[in-house]
Amino acid sequence: MKKTVLLLAGLALLLAVGATALGQGYAAMPEGAKIVNLGGPDWPGLEPGVRGGTFYSSVFGSGPKKWNDVTSHETTTTRYTGVFLRGLVTLHAVSGAITPELAESYEVSEDGLTITFHLRKGILWSDGEPFTADDVVFTYNDLVFNEDVETDARDVMTLPDGSFPKVEKVDDYTVNITLSMVFRPIFYSLTQNIMPEHKLAQYVHKLNPDVEAGTFNGVWGLDTDLSELCGLGAYLIESYEPDQQVVMVRNPYYYVYDQNGTQLPYYDKIVETIVASQDVQLLQLRNGEIDAWGCRPSDVPILKREEATKGFKVIIGSGVYGTLWISFNQDYAMDEDDPAKAQLRNLFRDIRFRQAVSYAMDKQSIIDNLYNGLAKPQWSPVSTPSPFYAGRDSYGGPITEKDAVVYEYDLDKANALLDDIGIVDTNGDGVREFPDGAPVEFELNTNSGNTLREGFCLIMKEDLEKIGLKVNYNPVDFNTLVTRLLGDTLYQAVVLGLTGGDDPNGGANVYKTDGGLHFWHYDAANNPYEYEKKIDELMNAGVSTYDNDEAFEIYKEYQILFATQDLGMNFSVNQAFTYVIYDYVGNAAIASPITSPTADNGLGREFVFQKPQS
Amino acid sequence: MKGFGLRTLVILAGVVALFSLVGAAYTVTQLEAIASNELVPEISAAAGMALASSYAQTMTASDLEALAVNGATIGLRTAASEALSILYRSKTEDELTAILTGDADPMIRAAAIDPIQKYLFTKTSDAEGFVLTDYLKDLAVNGTTHEMRLAAAEAYYLRLTVNGKLSASALEAQATTNDSAELEYAAGQTLAGFYLMSAAAKTQAQLEELAQNGASEGLRVAGSVALSTKLIDSSLTAQEMENTLLADFGAKSQEYLDAYKVALATRFSS
Repeated sequence: MKKTVLLLAGLALLLAVGATALGQGYAAMPEGAKIVNLGGPDWPGLEPGVRGGTFYSSVFGSGPKKWNDVTSHETTTTRYTGVFLRGLVTLHAVSGAITPELAESYEVSEDGLTITFHLRKGILWSDGEPFTADDVVFTYNDLVFNEDVETDARDVMTLPDGSFPKVEKVDDYTVNITLSMVFRPIFYSLTQNIMPEHKLAQYVHKLNPDVEAGTFNGVWGLDTDLSELCGLGAYLIESYEPDQQVVMVRNPYYYVYDQNGTQLPYYDKIVETIVASQDVQLLQLRNGEIDAWGCRPSDVPILKREEATKGFKVIIGSGVYGTLWISFNQDYAMDEDDPAKAQLRNLFRDIRFRQAVSYAMDKQSIIDNLYNGLAKPQWSPVSTPSPFYAGRDSYGGPITEKDAVVYEYDLDKANALLDDIGIVDTNGDGVREFPDGAPVEFELNTNSGNTLREGFCLIMKEDLEKIGLKVNYNPVDFNTLVTRLLGDTLYQAVVLGLTGGDDPNGGANVYKTDGGLHFWHYDAANNPYEYEKKIDELMNAGVSTYDNDEAFEIYKEYQILFATQDLGMNFSVNQAFTYVIYDYVGNAAIASPITSPTADNGLGREFVFQKPQS
Repeated sequence: MKGFGLRTLVILAGVVALFSLVGAAYTVTQLEAIASNELVPEISAAAGMALASSYAQTMTASDLEALAVNGATIGLRTAASEALSILYRSKTEDELTAILTGDADPMIRAAAIDPIQKYLFTKTSDAEGFVLTDYLKDLAVNGTTHEMRLAAAEAYYLRLTVNGKLSASALEAQATTNDSAELEYAAGQTLAGFYLMSAAAKTQAQLEELAQNGASEGLRVAGSVALSTKLIDSSLTAQEMENTLLADFGAKSQEYLDAYKVALATRFSS
């Protein structure tokens, strides 16, 4: 493996080299160590590795703005703070399930209002100081809930009734978090990184009146001596050249070990360059300057032809977060007394029409022509990586699609449904008519300039015309589109996409009848259909249980109900996760959209290792 | 294409022992021995390709430039040219352009094709109406040397691929006929990637047929590049690949032989 170290002319000022005053690490595995059984049921496809070597990666855009996780507002910063810090719980790198992290275990009281976390004992911060409940209480009570601290985390921790959880120390290794209501999604908020009380309390006015209120907001900026940064994560920041390169070095006090007793991470060091564009990353990867990269689907044809000769593998996984769909306005012109518009509205409200659209959607054509084969059919409003995705066979389980609601491409079925509605082509011109003789036609919008959505619209136009529906395709600018969707309800059909997440409750503002983005049927707030009432019940039930298996069944019922009876959105396809990694990197299977500590396609960097040369 | 008879095949088969190697990795000395034997040029060149990374670490650019021109065999000249390509990564765009368009030996000019990609592929300009793909296409047609045109053609198709503007069917047309031989060639290279993806996947047999009998050089290149991946991923040993090259020497298209050459180079490197 050859590496070309990027030496840039006129290196910017190298900020202080940190992590040099590290301790020697644990004399023995700590009592509270986390043991990962790589290759076992929870970590399939992985194997124990060996320590050593340097991992080279890159990120495009800009570098971190600070090292203060609590006051950060951007992923360019949390990409790195997430490397040297950890939370009480985390998302499992493979399944996406909520799993204990700094907490070794937790239990919930019978009334569901108190969660008791039992912290890992004997684990140390990177400066050798013990991690205790004081750090947890400090992070929440003195930072997150402190009005003097500028943090987005406070909004994330707010319960639906506007209250905050109460965080209390029981003893050095036990913390109670008490809620005003049962609210399962609070666990996603409890992934909040824990900060070192012994280092940072001095900067909080509430704890140290000698400093002004708000002092903490300026702490751990880029001018901080890196040896001052203190963490519990796998790596520490060794050096940073602004907007050029970040070097991370292993944390000798990391508490995670593999089943052979080898302390993670495996790589000694990570060198990450910051580049201007993903095009540069493509070249870096091809030239062997970086070891792995979350490539774009459009890069795959280039990489596929080179993977054998250059010794890397293109990983094409299951889906990424998000959805792409076509939707029909079931409230179209409902405030107007216009029979012609009313019959179109009634058509959109007919489940047979929406089902016909799904049967007429040629998903394979979309996959082949718009994604070069790098996508899969999508049927659920919940993102594929979510542990609650109903295509899994259990919470966080493998994706088997055994319960998937499949609308196979079938023009006969589509035609039969439309015939059943009573809209038929009476004059043989290829376009169906309403009983009054008016052609069944509607306008289809999307935001102009989005080539993917525009391509999807053209395919849908063709598909729907095959079943006798006349589509007038009209791309408009994004702001106009949003105004139509949220304001005047005069749009007829639209193609758009939504972002996704791990928790189905994140879509409550879309799929519940009172949701601000329930745009295809805002009137549901006043006149919900029976299935919409049921979806509301299920969404409420889903947040009211802490039993993830129970919640999985609830959300599965919701997803199937939406796909069979609601179809407020006809989902199309979901882009495949694409990643490329050199063959000499072990445990490449960890790469997925779940594992990255940041928002980009990522790699569980503590699990990968440099394969020994044979 | 020359026709070689059975007698020649027997003679060639007699020297198989020279190339075959029992055991694990090939040493530099062993690869140099193979590269120095030009009886089957593709085998010589494959060894040269496998030598490139070692030469890039141990030889100077001037020594490599001399070897690329004066090396006694295609294998040694290939080793030098590909090693130069690695060293040339540190050159500026102007330096690489000068090499590509100058009167240096083609083996030296070829060494600049890959390194200049990072400049061409991401080129920007304040000139009014500048469109990168138009610029690259024009250079791929009107560049003063074959190597400059090829470098531009490769960057052009790299840009189109990354922009999501291509499909297998579009590339098949462009690999059949295009505005320059270099564009046709680069279209074929690009098409190979699509043939390795599920939407337009071709079997090994189909790729062999295409590499041998494709209607244009571009299509044969597509078959060849994709076929090399299949061969590398197969269980064929280096000796089996050498045997194929020996047997097919003179009987198969250059593109077909090149697929085995590239695959053999990977075996030699592992």
